[in-house]
Amino acid sequence: MSNSQSTPDWLNKLEEQSRISQQAFIDNISTRLRRPRMTEAPDHPYRGTPAFWSEFEWDSQQRIDKFTTHFQEVGGHVVRLQTMEQAAGFIADHAVQMNARYLIRQQQLELAELRLEERLPDVQISSWNSDPDEAWKARAAEADIGVVMADGAAAYTGTVMVTSAPHQGRSVSLLPTVCIVILPVDRLYTRLGELLIPMDEIGRENLPAGMHFISGPSRSSDIENDLTIGVHGPGIIYTLLVG
Amino acid sequence: MNPAQSTQGTVKERAGVALNNDFLRNAVKFTTERLRSGKQAASAEHGNWEEWRERGRQIRLHTIAHLDYYLNLFVDNARKNGVHVHFAPDTAAATDIVMTIARNKQAESVVKSKSMVSEELHINRALELAGIETIESDLGEYIIQLAGEGPSHIVIPAIHKNRYQIAELLSEDAGEELPPDTTILAGYVRRKLREKFLGADIGMTGCNFAIAETGSMVLFENEGNARMVTTLPKTQITLMGMERIIPSWEDLEVMATLLPRSATGQRLTMYMSGITGPKRTADGDGPEEMHIIIVDNGRSEQLGDSEFQELLNCIRCGACLNVCPVYRHIGGHSYGGTYSGPIGAVLTPALNRNVAEWDDIANASSLCGACSEACPVKIPLHDMLVYLRRRKVERGHGNRWEALGMKGFAVLMANSKRLNLALKMGRIAQKPVVHNKGITLKIGPLKGWNTYRVTSPIADHSFRENWQELSEDTRRTARPMNAETWDRMEQILRQRRASGIQGGHHE
Repeated sequence: MSNSQSTPDWLNKLEEQSRISQQAFIDNISTRLRRPRMTEAPDHPYRGTPAFWSEFEWDSQQRIDKFTTHFQEVGGHVVRLQTMEQAAGFIADHAVQMNARYLIRQQQLELAELRLEERLPDVQISSWNSDPDEAWKARAAEADIGVVMADGAAAYTGTVMVTSAPHQGRSVSLLPTVCIVILPVDRLYTRLGELLIPMDEIGRENLPAGMHFISGPSRSSDIENDLTIGVHGPGIIYTLLVG
Repeated sequence: MNPAQSTQGTVKERAGVALNNDFLRNAVKFTTERLRSGKQAASAEHGNWEEWRERGRQIRLHTIAHLDYYLNLFVDNARKNGVHVHFAPDTAAATDIVMTIARNKQAESVVKSKSMVSEELHINRALELAGIETIESDLGEYIIQLAGEGPSHIVIPAIHKNRYQIAELLSEDAGEELPPDTTILAGYVRRKLREKFLGADIGMTGCNFAIAETGSMVLFENEGNARMVTTLPKTQITLMGMERIIPSWEDLEVMATLLPRSATGQRLTMYMSGITGPKRTADGDGPEEMHIIIVDNGRSEQLGDSEFQELLNCIRCGACLNVCPVYRHIGGHSYGGTYSGPIGAVLTPALNRNVAEWDDIANASSLCGACSEACPVKIPLHDMLVYLRRRKVERGHGNRWEALGMKGFAVLMANSKRLNLALKMGRIAQKPVVHNKGITLKIGPLKGWNTYRVTSPIADHSFRENWQELSEDTRRTARPMNAETWDRMEQILRQRRASGIQGGHHE
């Protein structure tokens, strides 16, 4: 992925050093373990969760109920909706109620179809990475509301997953004061493993640079164990469960 | 690590300061109790906790036993992802690599998310010396950075500060008076650090887990600062202990089950991020250049050591601190190293390869075993503390007086006449120092004990000397046993003889 032509000298030098140290570093481990260097994949009989866990599954209604309970327990909000049209209505109502001036959304078809621009003529709405000359991190940082699609979710831990791509910024779910995640019900699974195991299956080459598992609002208990919401990331987070 | 600086005084002396600080003791107790009960509730709610622990242990054991394979696999895959991987056998090498990158990037500022490895390396000091602004962005870390202190808990670094102390520190930072209100204080830090995140040249992180099969790194956090650090600056540097590896994402589910529940009693931290290489060319955010520095710094010395290899299984949850009765009284700073509590008591001497200098922290434990029981990957911490004490004695760093005392005791106890003679002499010798039936003298070996207690003198007549009289007395005054009981006991005795089981004999 790195372009060797544009790699500066100092970095090439570090790279060279690294390859030399690698040999000694790994050999030292083998020596300490008192055996020759292992080059074949060892048998891993304990890979993943205990067997009983991989059979565990909730039905659709249970998944919705548990996700809702778990996400709300840590201070997140869950709204159950039937259609994307309703989701658009909810976002528009909320933006007005909260006097939002800036809204940023991922550049995704489902989100474009919400036609937020028409619904919210007074709000400055931007679509992530739609113009190469824009300072997108700054646009996300000034936004009152960020709107993203979830790539998946796990009910057991109350977690939504979002991934990065050219048209899906990591900043959109991170920098705005309020984060609204739209989660189609058919992307809601029971266990976290149902989101993780596919990562092994699709393989290194196809993984996005950033995968973020979000289980509620940004929080800290660092001052006298007193819970504070919205320390660095969004303090208010909605999951709109649609379908 | 600079032992000369951190080991000033002994654990006992440092704990003396802590024990006099009522707030510290109460705060540490309060927080650790909350974390502990949170962990108990979360592990009970989840169910089958023992099976999960065992699975966690097996995955860690397997990975460490094949660390050469998995680490090499991770490195190869991370490189394919476009990451610049570096190897640092020690602190100096790691610092050197960080400084080379910072210099060539002409960095003016570095924002950091929580990394215990960076504390181990004292990387902030090196960066500051080079005139590079270095900002800890975890709320608790930011507070202790302003105070110029180190973390006193793996998970809650500013556990020892109250809101008034924090308000004072942050007010000074803000240049205006901030009230001791958690929301306002956290709000100030949010605003202040926002600018820093957006303006920083380098983002520096730790690494909770590294996935060998895909070359990805995983971070667990609640505040969102680690996401900021890996999203906004153009260059990312990750400091990673060489043992942070797990084979696959599938294995991560087990770690994600054990770590947050054990650390804070959460089902999962608010954010768990998996980062696979720098940003893709067309991505709008994420680091353009990503470095991972793999740090040994004494870790590999534990490999192949049957007593200490399992130390490398540690997932840094802090559960052992929260259950430790000693930690809860003396707080983290008394341990004198980067890592505190039971894990610190074992890890610090192990990583520093100088058992002698750190020996006294192995004594900061009551060996009650609560740490081993709490550990989500079942590290036998209290056994390790005993091994450490044994090694200290074997290597001649034991207490000379203690050894001499034990030898004397052995000589005395080997012969009853010798013991009787010694007791007789003791009775005469103690006469001048016994007052009100107690010895309060605070000199020599009695000093430590008598500071808070009174030593009983040797009795005028020993139990043994009184035995004849005592046993006759008992025989005379005891009521005769009722016949039925007598028969039953006789019968038990007969059965026992018949089956060949021997009772204890004292004659």
